[in-house]
Amino acid sequence: MILAVLFANAEGNILIERFHGVPAEERLHWRSFLVKLGADNLKGVKNEELLVACHKSVYIVYTILGDVSIYVVGKDEYDELALSEVIFTITSAVKDVCGKPPTERRFLDKYGRICLCLDEIVWKGYLENTEKDRIKRLIRLKPPTEF
Amino acid sequence: MAQPLVKKDDDRDDEADYSPFMGIEKGAVLQEARVFNDPQLDARRCSQVITKLLYLLNQGETFTKVEATEVFFSVTKLFQSRDLGLRRMVYLIIKELSPSADEVIIVTSSLMKDMNSKTDMYRANAIRVLCRITDGTLLTQIERYLKQAIVDKNPVVASAALVSGIHLLQTNPEIVKRWSNEVQEAVQSRAALVQFHALALLHQLDKGKCSLTFGPMSLDPLYKSGNSTQSGDRPFYDFLESCLRHKSEMVIFEAAKAITDLNGVTSRELTPAITVLQLFLSSSKPVLRFAAVRTLNKVAMTHPMAVTNCNIDMESLISDQNRSIATLAITTLLKTGNESSVDRLMKQITNFMSDIADEFKIVVVEAIRSLCLKFPLKYRSLMNFLSNILREEGGFDYKKAIVDSIVILIRDIPDAKESGLLHLCEFIEDCEFTYLSTQILHFLGIEGPKTVDPSKYIRYIYNRVHLENATVRASAVSTLAKFGASVEELQPRIFVLLRRCLFDSDDEVNFYIISYIASLNYVVRDRATLYLNTLGGDIEIDKDVRDFLFGSLDIPLVNLETSLKKYEPSEEAFDINLVPREVKSQPLAEKKAPGKKPTGLGAPPSGPPSTVDSYERQLLSIPEFANFGKLFKSSAPVELTEAETEYAVNVVKHIFDTHVVFQYNCTNTIPEQLLEDVIVIVDASEAEEFSQVITKPLRSLPYDSPGQTFVAFEKPEGLPTTGKFSNILKFIVKEVDPTSGEAEDDGVEDEYQLEDLEVVAADYILKVGVSNFRNAWESLDPDSERVDEYGLGQRGDGLSEAVNTVINILGMQPCEGTETVPPNSRSHTCLLSGVFIGGVKVLVRLSFGLDSTKDVAMKLAVRSDDVNVSDAIHEIVASG
Repeated sequence: MILAVLFANAEGNILIERFHGVPAEERLHWRSFLVKLGADNLKGVKNEELLVACHKSVYIVYTILGDVSIYVVGKDEYDELALSEVIFTITSAVKDVCGKPPTERRFLDKYGRICLCLDEIVWKGYLENTEKDRIKRLIRLKPPTEF
Repeated sequence: MAQPLVKKDDDRDDEADYSPFMGIEKGAVLQEARVFNDPQLDARRCSQVITKLLYLLNQGETFTKVEATEVFFSVTKLFQSRDLGLRRMVYLIIKELSPSADEVIIVTSSLMKDMNSKTDMYRANAIRVLCRITDGTLLTQIERYLKQAIVDKNPVVASAALVSGIHLLQTNPEIVKRWSNEVQEAVQSRAALVQFHALALLHQLDKGKCSLTFGPMSLDPLYKSGNSTQSGDRPFYDFLESCLRHKSEMVIFEAAKAITDLNGVTSRELTPAITVLQLFLSSSKPVLRFAAVRTLNKVAMTHPMAVTNCNIDMESLISDQNRSIATLAITTLLKTGNESSVDRLMKQITNFMSDIADEFKIVVVEAIRSLCLKFPLKYRSLMNFLSNILREEGGFDYKKAIVDSIVILIRDIPDAKESGLLHLCEFIEDCEFTYLSTQILHFLGIEGPKTVDPSKYIRYIYNRVHLENATVRASAVSTLAKFGASVEELQPRIFVLLRRCLFDSDDEVNFYIISYIASLNYVVRDRATLYLNTLGGDIEIDKDVRDFLFGSLDIPLVNLETSLKKYEPSEEAFDINLVPREVKSQPLAEKKAPGKKPTGLGAPPSGPPSTVDSYERQLLSIPEFANFGKLFKSSAPVELTEAETEYAVNVVKHIFDTHVVFQYNCTNTIPEQLLEDVIVIVDASEAEEFSQVITKPLRSLPYDSPGQTFVAFEKPEGLPTTGKFSNILKFIVKEVDPTSGEAEDDGVEDEYQLEDLEVVAADYILKVGVSNFRNAWESLDPDSERVDEYGLGQRGDGLSEAVNTVINILGMQPCEGTETVPPNSRSHTCLLSGVFIGGVKVLVRLSFGLDSTKDVAMKLAVRSDDVNVSDAIHEIVASG
């Protein structure tokens, strides 16, 4: 299960957060844990370089893309490698929507589109679509070209 | 939640000037949402408002029920628009708002319309949304459409229905199970993705569990099914092995992981997987390094030798920037390292410890403890390491892990005792945790007096009397008194110190604190007075009191707690002798739980409260058994019938000093029968030393209402007499009218053959653990020791089977986890403890060895309070 996908800006403010199967009372804990993780480790990291951590039986893969840091949390079959696939799909979709690694402003400008992409990529805690061209068509309600 | 975004500095990029959501406010957005109701819909503007709503939701903003309903109503109006982009947003916002059941109905008709639309993408999305927001009743209404959708020509539609099925299976499994024909058909689809989703749903329908992911992850269910159905030959191994040469790193890794997870994987099978994992260790990608080292760490637990080839690569990971990777590398190295590499490793770890978090440090400390137990000769450097990190900053859990490790090393490595105790003494000089200080003081009281020079610990202990809070002071006084009681030459000096403790200044407040925390409820002064009196002989003190104060409490704490809770204040004093001493064995499932950590300072592991006292009460209430004396032991129930037979009977063996009582628990499983005058006819011809004295029949045994019948035998006093008994259940059976439930007046005599029953030597030994075997062993008279050697012949499963067999024959409690034999061991020592009938404490040391022909040899050493019991143990093993 992909437990959480979270986007934060450089100051650690949350831009998007989506939880799956995480009780509401635990979300605050995850939010602050992830933001602190990023603050401790993401400084000077190159765009899309993947960092990894584990917390109890839960895995976290996170990276930075432009002004935005992205965190994906998973457990069981969504271990560090599966999560790296998830985050790769997310970063390529975000780059595709924004045209390049986004500034915070650009990210917010394309906010609606990015939410739609996420909806296509993660469906109720499971990874679904992985190809950016397919995602690009699906969010515009266009049928994909390949099956 | 995000702070409102503020305007950035002007020198920033133009486009980053300000946020499109700056100053966003829920009330205003809700106002804006009225645009959804316009007769002329502005698709672009509507999309923008939905985006704002999404932003608010993603920021953790919540809508009241009224607000959500209002938005939801307005959103449904947007179905009128033909704009594709807006429609996609509408689908998303409905999912995000997750309306309640009474609102779903508003949107259902629109979504149903979309579900039957000619536009494939409408159909697909409508299915997803409906399945997300639907409940069971609505699902039955749309089930027909969903089944059609599964076999829809358009792959996007089919996939949407199948994926929805996977999720609906969790909430409405009975409905989804009806779709199997359609799902089977979808498996044949020409679109790969539909095939995959159909397979995933099928797999989940079969197994109830599946991972839904793409590409390489499909290996996951494959190897799981390979694992579960194959034990010896593995048809998937060659495939997995070929995947190790795949071009995708993900496939390689999943294949390697699958191989390492195979049941009973051999070193030969592991080799290719380890080789690719080793390559990943030096990957530039942290995720791959992490994955590889995590998998190798797991392999090192079962096959440490297979991982040693990677040690050099692993060592370079100690300096990895990612602390998770470094910690995993270190703990793996600690598992695979050999004796000669310990010192070098410790040097590397020392540098590393200062910059990791406590949670990682605890993992390292636990790994070091295991390493030290593996290489006891290296205790000096490992103990030094532990004492150094004990002095550094750290939280309670970390410090406790270190202290626990030192205590375990002191217990298991005799040479480490002196230095370990001194390290602990130094630690309490500056320890901020009351719990740890009191535990260490208690431990010092037990171990300190047994050292060569006990006097050197006194200073550390007495310092605590001056400088600590009342709880620690009280513990220190007890520890001092223990030294006084155990070391005669120290007594005069201890008296002086204890007298000084009488001037302790603790007041009423302290009294409450101590009463609450300290188990014996004495204030420091009172403790000091008590100990002075006890040791000094000012007043006559019973031997029992001395034993109680200074001896070890050999009653399981759980049992003591249960008895104390049951005790009602009355004229009659609480009798500690009535507290059951048997530790009820843990349920099987719990026993099998792997990775049980050794306990340090805490009490020895103990099971739930014993049922022995309830048996005792029950038996004493039967007048015929009232003069049998104290119940020594009751066995676990032994089944005498197969499962699901007409009559279910099991027996509990109750052992008294001169008697054995069999309690037959009978259950009648036939509704049309009533049994009366139920007895068990016992033939004791193969149990010559037993003579039957009492049979207590069961008057009536109605359907499904268990009852008991008893048979009692006399046996030689205090001896572990054994024998075999055959049993026949005898009764009068009466037919019962199923409608009225009344039995007929006349019955027929009938018999029912039961399984045989044996009384074995283990029935005469109570499983009573000791927390410190070495101390307990040394406290018993060496003259009571009896040693002999036995050849156990060849054993199928190596030493493990031999060890279990002997434990079962003796029915004693294995101590300090010695019942577990590490795989491929050629020698093993197992420590057992118990109480023999008559209340005689007995300890057994078993040393097993395996020779070149796989014959198992065993040396058995017994010590007990009674030499005859030591001999009896040997007789039991010799005849077993």
